[in-house]
Amino acid sequence: MLSRRGILKLGGAAALSAALLKAAHTPVDPDYSIEIAPFLLEISPKHTVKTIAYNRQIPGEILRLAEGRPVIVDVTNHTSREEVVHWHGLFLPSDVDGAMEEGTPMVSPGSTVRYTFTPRPAGFRWYHTHTRAGDDLKAGQYTGQQGFLMIEPRKAMSAYDREFFLALHDWDGQMFSSGDGSMNPAYNFSTINGKMLGFGEPLKVKQGQRVLLHILNASPTDPHWISFSGHQFRVIALDGNPVPQPQTVPMLRLAPAERVCAIVEMSNPGVWVLGEVRKHIKSAGMGVVVEYSGYDGAPLWQQPQTLNWNYNQFAALVESRDSEEIVSIPLVFESKFAGHGAPDRWMINGKSYPDTEAVTLRKGQRYRLQFKNRSTDDHPVHLHRHSFEIRTLPRSQSTRGIVKDVVLVPAQSQVDVEFTADNPGLTLFHCHQQNHMDDGFMMLFRYA
Amino acid sequence: MRKWLEEIARRWELFVALSVFFALPAFAQGNYEIQVYGAATVEPKTTMFELHSNFTIDGEKARIDGVYPTNHQEHETLEITQGINDWSEVGFYVFTSIQDGHGWQWVGDHIRPRVRLPDSWHWVVGVSLSTEIGYQRAAYSPDTWTWEIRPIVDKSVGRWYFAVNPAFERTLHGPDVNQGFQFAPAVKVSYDFTKVVSGGVEYYGNYGELGNFASLHNQQQQIFIVTDLNVSPKWEINIGAGIGPTAATDRWIIKGILGRHFSWIKQPDIE
Repeated sequence: MLSRRGILKLGGAAALSAALLKAAHTPVDPDYSIEIAPFLLEISPKHTVKTIAYNRQIPGEILRLAEGRPVIVDVTNHTSREEVVHWHGLFLPSDVDGAMEEGTPMVSPGSTVRYTFTPRPAGFRWYHTHTRAGDDLKAGQYTGQQGFLMIEPRKAMSAYDREFFLALHDWDGQMFSSGDGSMNPAYNFSTINGKMLGFGEPLKVKQGQRVLLHILNASPTDPHWISFSGHQFRVIALDGNPVPQPQTVPMLRLAPAERVCAIVEMSNPGVWVLGEVRKHIKSAGMGVVVEYSGYDGAPLWQQPQTLNWNYNQFAALVESRDSEEIVSIPLVFESKFAGHGAPDRWMINGKSYPDTEAVTLRKGQRYRLQFKNRSTDDHPVHLHRHSFEIRTLPRSQSTRGIVKDVVLVPAQSQVDVEFTADNPGLTLFHCHQQNHMDDGFMMLFRYA
Repeated sequence: MRKWLEEIARRWELFVALSVFFALPAFAQGNYEIQVYGAATVEPKTTMFELHSNFTIDGEKARIDGVYPTNHQEHETLEITQGINDWSEVGFYVFTSIQDGHGWQWVGDHIRPRVRLPDSWHWVVGVSLSTEIGYQRAAYSPDTWTWEIRPIVDKSVGRWYFAVNPAFERTLHGPDVNQGFQFAPAVKVSYDFTKVVSGGVEYYGNYGELGNFASLHNQQQQIFIVTDLNVSPKWEINIGAGIGPTAATDRWIIKGILGRHFSWIKQPDIE
């Protein structure tokens, strides 16, 4: 429940949702409760990470919600900082979406806030903190505040025998000046579901099973490449949205906040490793053992020699024509050098948040966001409260049918996406890389 | 015009005074390798080749105790540093001198192992420790065998970079063999004007024996105005001009460092 202090504080926020206020006085049990508290995570018998977790586990528990059915989630903050939980990938009102920039009230230390919302659309989403970390590489998304959110569709997306949820994360980061002069974190440890390779429970499967993997990159800053030795992935959904052309691929690339749903045919009995393709990250711990029933021994890893990924392979084959007027909004990403001992300041159209211009949208209008990345960093950009369709990829690849809420815009390239402004309210757009959003890579859309 | 020149002179004096004031510890490395070390080490399986080119515009003009005068000496030093692992390296130096009447002469060689604090310790400053031992011909240095221990601390703060090398030098063979450690600090302060161009001040001193410092007049003191060009992570470029304000120091020196890193492993595409 909200404390008096919390209510007074929230009372000042014009955007406080009726749902939140109502919830504060309604003795209805929540469907879920999330306790945010400090936590000592043992990533291996030799390594522990002092962090913050949801309900004393990393990743937080899987919240399975029915599409279109209202849900109540109580969030209690046992830390000393204000917190907020973002329901990533859902079409929610601004005041419960989970971004203070949109007007969602923060959860004060020691208080409880009730989130009441109707989850949609169906698919694999996630929930995570949306606070600023700044120089503190043990705050914000650098912590263990992330969990899976499965919005159950009315109709199953694909037949499967078994499913696993896997969250990738990097720990114990330190800022380093990179080759291009900007600063980015480098990490000492990397995990899947909070464990280094060899120290978590193996994924136990049986020969002949069709296993559905829901993989989330919850890293605060780094993309990850994942392969499953002896097996291939049949990608059926990106960011929780079914792809027009499911494809079988040898590896996955997930930028921060991206999700991939993939079916794996368990047709190669043995003990295998599913892990990061790049050696230095796998040796930092990012991997999990997959064990067929009746098999044991040392897990096998087959080292891929190339990195291979392209969103376009999942696109619709037929190019459909645009039947409506589309308004283009160019967004130029640039950085401003602040010294080799300081992170770059990030800018959208020449300005850093909070000075970025809030673009006004008209309800029902279709927009094309033209992401022009003139910087030397890749950017996984995220649009809150909406999904978008990728329309143009680097080297002018035209594409259709891939619907996402995060897209990686490579350095020195352009990616275009389209979305329909159909969810009025303040809408945050930002780079999902924690240090980039902290250093100005954010802007708001507002509805007319 | 005269007033303007006086103002320039006054500001220069103030600048030099401030530079000396902030230059707490440091080290005068002879005029063969004029460099304030940063804490980073060369990456493993990587070799760095550096050419240090120093020319004494105005130096000692007399031959003293058989040592050639430094005036108009051109020093070319090849430094080869091999990265061992992510916290250590070994450097090897070949010192040479070019001078009218003497030609191009080999001067000596040094070896310099160095270790640093691992990044995983998360210290707020970079810290490393090098030790250097080597020989130089008596015609170029009366002390032919020397040993140096050099702690290194550095830190980047925004556009500013600070490095401190409070070095201690010991003669193993030569006239000063009975002296103890000499204190030879070096300091660098620089500022990133752009992503590529940095400029700053380097200070090198040798105060003499610990506990028995020489008079200021007899101390080595050098102040360089330098620029670093950060054109690529593979390249190191440093150019500077320095003045020695004390009698024991060469008056004017210009220096240049050109370095290139070579990785001996083919970085797989996946990395």
